[in-house]
Parts: sequence; structure tokens; C-alpha cells
Amino acid sequence: MRFAKFFVALAATTTMLIGCASQKEPAEKAVAQIESSVAEFRADAEKYAADELKKVDESIGKLKNSLANKDYSMVVKAAPSLQSTISSLKQSVAVKKADAEALMAAATAEWGEISAKVPQMVEAIQSRVDTLGKSRKLPANVDKATFETVKADFENMKNEWTAAAAQFASGEADAAVRKAREIKAKGEQILAKLGMTPAA
Amino acid sequence: MATENPYAQYHVVKKGDTLSKIAEEYYGDKMLYPKIFEANKDVLQDPNKIKPGQKLRIP
Repeated sequence: MRFAKFFVALAATTTMLIGCASQKEPAEKAVAQIESSVAEFRADAEKYAADELKKVDESIGKLKNSLANKDYSMVVKAAPSLQSTISSLKQSVAVKKADAEALMAAATAEWGEISAKVPQMVEAIQSRVDTLGKSRKLPANVDKATFETVKADFENMKNEWTAAAAQFASGEADAAVRKAREIKAKGEQILAKLGMTPAA
Repeated sequence: MATENPYAQYHVVKKGDTLSKIAEEYYGDKMLYPKIFEANKDVLQDPNKIKPGQKLRIP
């Protein structure tokens, strides 16, 4: 009787060990496949979905711990769900990347238009400010206080333009365009204060 | 060929205008008329000879 119990226990343990061993390869493959899937879009995910990527990395870490602890069945059981999460993340990252690229293209096009106009505006204002600075008397439509304000505003405008150009050069096209729109509006106000009706 | 600055200001010469008068109107100082003459040398040969209808750039 005692021998029979021992034999049953031995058989059960052997079956379990064989079962576990048979799960080892699929578990290792699953983890390798998951890591490979994430590696395909990791760089974009870091840029467009860092928080979601962090959660996926944590799940991969847990899966690898299970693998290290030889809990292969746990790995095999959890892998499909994680793989599905990774597929969703990959799609989400692709959409966010496409949106960001479209935004960047629109911002670059608008920057091209504004960056052609603002230097012309600056040139026209600079010429008038220099000339009025030499004038013995200001024209009827510009008083002294307005001219002093204009000079200060114009210096700010030029500094802000330099900053916006640097921002665009550093890749922050969207922020640079927003700043450029404000600068252009400021330039139009200066032109109006100087009584300069633009030709176009 | 240089592109025209869309923010440049222009003055269309009227009867009785002189460069001095135009300089006084835009700059407040008639003595600054050479600025306008220099900016319009492509259409003006003599600062004392401007014609009605001429379009002058006011720098």
C-alpha cells in the first residue's frame, strides 16, 4: 500500500515535471516574440506613447520573472494577452506618429509662408524707424510717445523672431509657428502705428 | 530680379507734389526728401522733376 502511494506520487511528480518541461520552449518563444514585437516600434513608442510603453515593459518584466522562476505555464497563459496589448499599442503609436507628421508638415508649410513675410516686414519697419529717428519732427500721424512705444515693440519683435527661428531650427515647428503668428500680428500693429499702409 | 516687399509703402504723385512735401507728409521733415529720391532712382533722374501719377516707394 505504501509502495502504491509512493508510486502514484512519483508518477504525478514526473507527469508534472514533463508537463512543465514541455511548456518551457513555448514559454521562451513567447517571451522572445513579445520582445521582438516591441523592439520593432520601441523608438516611436518612446516618442509617442511613453506611458503605455512603460506599462508594457513592466508586464514583459513580470513575464520574464515567471520564465526565470520556471513558471512556464504562467508565461504561456499570459503571453497572448500581452501580445494583444502590444499589437494595440503598435497601432496606436502608428496613428499618433501619422498625426504628428501631418501636424509637422502643416507647421513647416505655414512657417515657410510666415518666414518669408516677417523679414520683409522687419526691413520695412526698420527703414521707417531709422528715417523717423533722423527726422527733426515726426509726421502728423505719429506722436512722440507712439514712436517711442513703436521702437520698443520693434526691438521685442526682432528678438522674438530670432527666438522663433531658433525654435523652428531645433525641430519645435508647431511652437515656432504659434510664436511666428504672434510676431506677424505685432508687426502689423507696428505698421499701423507708423501709418504705413502695406501695398499688399 | 528682387521681389517687391509687400510691406513697402507707396505714394502716387499728385499735382503740386514735390519730394519735399512728400517727405514732410511721411517723415515730418522735408529735408529728408533725398531718402525718397534714393529709393526711386529707377524712375527719377532729378529730385525736382516728379510727375503726377508716378508711384514712388516711401522707404
